Amino acid sequence: MIENKSLDSRLRNVIIYTIVILLALICLLPLWNIVAISFSSSAAVTAQRVGLFPVQFTLAAYEKIMGDAQFRRSFGISVTRVVLALVINIILIVLMAYPLAKSSREFKGRNIYMNLLVFAMLFNGGMIPTYLVVKQLNLLNSIWSLILPGAVPIFSVILVMNFFVGVPKSLEEAAMIDGATPFQILFRVYVPVSKPSLATVALFSIVGSWNDFYSGLIYITKIKNYPVMTYIQSLSVNIEELLKAGMNSSSLESVTEVSNQNLNAAKIVVVVIPLLLIYPLLQRYLITGIVMGSVKE
Amino acid sequence: MRKDYLFKRIAITLSAVMILSLAGCSGNNAKSNADSSTAKNDGKTAGVTQEAQTADGPFGAYPEEITYTLGRQTIQNPKLPDGDTYENNAYTRYVKDRLNAVAVDAFEANGEDYDRQVSLAIASEDLPDIMKIGSKDILDELVENDMVEDLTDVYNTYASDYLKEIYDSYDGRSLSTATYDEKIMALPGTNVDSAPNEVWVRQDWLDKLGLKVDEDGNGMITVDELKNIAETFMEKDPGSSKNPVGISLAYWLSSNDYGGSTYCATGIANALGAYPKLWLKNTDGSVYYGSNTEENKKTLGVLADWFKEGILDPQFGTRTWDDITALLTNGQTGITFGVWHIPDWLLNNVRAMDKNATFSTYVIEGENGKANVFHNNASSGYIVVRKGYKHPELAVKISNLFYDELANTKTLEKDYPEVAKYQADGVDGSTRPFNVEINKYTSLLDDYSDIKKGVDGEIAIEDARTLESRNVIQNVKRYLENTATDDVTDWSKYHSRMKGIELIDKLTRENSFNWVEPVFWGTTETMKSNWANLQKLEEETFIKIVTGSVPLNDFDKYVKDWNDQGGSQIISEIEATIK
Repeated sequence: MIENKSLDSRLRNVIIYTIVILLALICLLPLWNIVAISFSSSAAVTAQRVGLFPVQFTLAAYEKIMGDAQFRRSFGISVTRVVLALVINIILIVLMAYPLAKSSREFKGRNIYMNLLVFAMLFNGGMIPTYLVVKQLNLLNSIWSLILPGAVPIFSVILVMNFFVGVPKSLEEAAMIDGATPFQILFRVYVPVSKPSLATVALFSIVGSWNDFYSGLIYITKIKNYPVMTYIQSLSVNIEELLKAGMNSSSLESVTEVSNQNLNAAKIVVVVIPLLLIYPLLQRYLITGIVMGSVKE
Repeated sequence: MRKDYLFKRIAITLSAVMILSLAGCSGNNAKSNADSSTAKNDGKTAGVTQEAQTADGPFGAYPEEITYTLGRQTIQNPKLPDGDTYENNAYTRYVKDRLNAVAVDAFEANGEDYDRQVSLAIASEDLPDIMKIGSKDILDELVENDMVEDLTDVYNTYASDYLKEIYDSYDGRSLSTATYDEKIMALPGTNVDSAPNEVWVRQDWLDKLGLKVDEDGNGMITVDELKNIAETFMEKDPGSSKNPVGISLAYWLSSNDYGGSTYCATGIANALGAYPKLWLKNTDGSVYYGSNTEENKKTLGVLADWFKEGILDPQFGTRTWDDITALLTNGQTGITFGVWHIPDWLLNNVRAMDKNATFSTYVIEGENGKANVFHNNASSGYIVVRKGYKHPELAVKISNLFYDELANTKTLEKDYPEVAKYQADGVDGSTRPFNVEINKYTSLLDDYSDIKKGVDGEIAIEDARTLESRNVIQNVKRYLENTATDDVTDWSKYHSRMKGIELIDKLTRENSFNWVEPVFWGTTETMKSNWANLQKLEEETFIKIVTGSVPLNDFDKYVKDWNDQGGSQIISEIEATIK
């Protein structure tokens, strides 16, 4: 790009950068505050003295998390769920997107399927019917109740489908001439050149199933089976409601102990770490275009 | 505040929709219900033959292992040891050992999530064998739809003498809430009067300023004395916070429960003869609402004056619960209101920030020279048994175990070391099969008398009845040896017991209480539709009056509006109910 050195555009740049930096800070500071809280003593947090830096620095909250058996178990459940959901999602997305990427001349009834998908994406059954289906299938309390209802993320299917449509025809023709079966074409040609789009939908899947707490709240009826986000959500305490519900003194003691904001902050920090680690791993796929250089026209 | 209402409304609408749509779907279940009811009948005949062989009695074990499904209300931090769960822990194993009955949890959830699970179970007509329910309204609904078992016979046959003694100690106030047409439909959890609403004052600040409080030593201070303390604290700022606040109150001002009245002005209102948010009876038998009385108008007048003079928190109405806790913890305010146990879980933060902090506690004295207090709702939570469950007596037997045997045994360490270890480690009581308390009316003061004797050395620590008392005695003794201790727990236990309960004990001994008995705790037909709005009207008007944005005399207009918008209808409904 050619740099315009006029004062006007420099001023414009300054304004744009200021706005962007402010927006970045708005996103970043609350998170940073959580980090600071997680390293502060609980009394200092209660006194609302913690801003951007820890007050009365302590690692007590993290030590406590490591001792929380339920947190560890829930963390494990969430990891299992993410892995299972990722594998199932990707397989189903690829298998579904490939035929849909064909023209309706090659795949009769394609448009009917497509319309069904879009319809289901816009209008779904809603919470109660879904709950009843899951219940009737005896999936309540099983990890599959967290995975199967969202096994085919339609938005991702459409995304990958569009990417497949963009893959040059000549690649497929070349493979056919070499005697490849449709499955070989899909997995040897289409999937390898579609890494950027697959990385994107993989990220959607990972973030989605890692962060989802609501399905755990509905489909899982035993706390020992909670995924980690549902567990953390269940820790939030409305002390006024508890008092009005007549909670006894010793239970209040236990509850206020765990609702210590610094402990919860530390839990939030711990569950964010896996996602922070995954982003840079997938990022290179998100940036590089792979189709480039595969065909010369 | 607005937002809360909005959320509540959304939540109510959503749950209504949920229940309606489930009711619509319940047709599907008709068949499976019919199937299971024949199965149940088969079971019943089997049950009868089985019972003939059972060694009958309050603690009789079943000859063959039975399982029971449970609805469990859990808490966030039960402190269960590794490997133990709500479903399988020392307490459920203890039931298995004693009664040969194995627990299977139908559902578990915390707080409000639990209520939703209960609603789902009711709507899908799929109740667990035994479950806890939180409110009288749900019990009404279950009884009305004939979904729960009549427990009258099993209670009379199987309840141990001590369990009956417990319920009797409430003069029927507890059991009657679960009795419909002379039939006991649930086992109510009991709710001890943890009265009164106490004023907690920073004693170290009083000492620093040389302020004398309660010179006659009767444990009570007048409203004027309280005002005087607040003024002095404002003026001298003994916490060196540079931004002192006299008295900070929660915006809902009062609660109809002692436990809920922390940070509330309930104590001030009671002293002035007002009992806000409670249903009371005149001598002529007519019912009235405690918030709408002349006395409560006077209370609001006092608070409004304080607000004007700056003694009451200038940010009253917007200060949240956490904000008020922060004021205390930061040493900006040194006066607060609450039950006897707030040092254990709230004021401990104050000590954690300020190693010199100590509190004294008083009750606000009424113009009659007495401490006016109201009886709590004697029931808190109910245990119900599914209609058609073949072992309804199990609910009573389990209650016998936990509220009689465990409460009275002297040889727990020997017989059930695992259970003893739970109690020593502070594993929460919600891990017992029934998350309710069933205690004698006098249990609070009985336990305290043990603690006091233990601290004074009149009895050996081992002779205290409960493990908790034994622990507290040690905490208190350690605190008394070194009052500058860094151990906040020792400090808390000393304050909650030797200050908080000691005050209740003293006022009881000196006969200083004037007890008032509310007459109604439930929900009437009109309340179902209008109560949320009436509460909102009350709350908003009171905040406006206290902050001076409307004059005190608007109170009369509020009372009229309140009556017009369904209030008088509710009152006549209550009168019809209690007649």
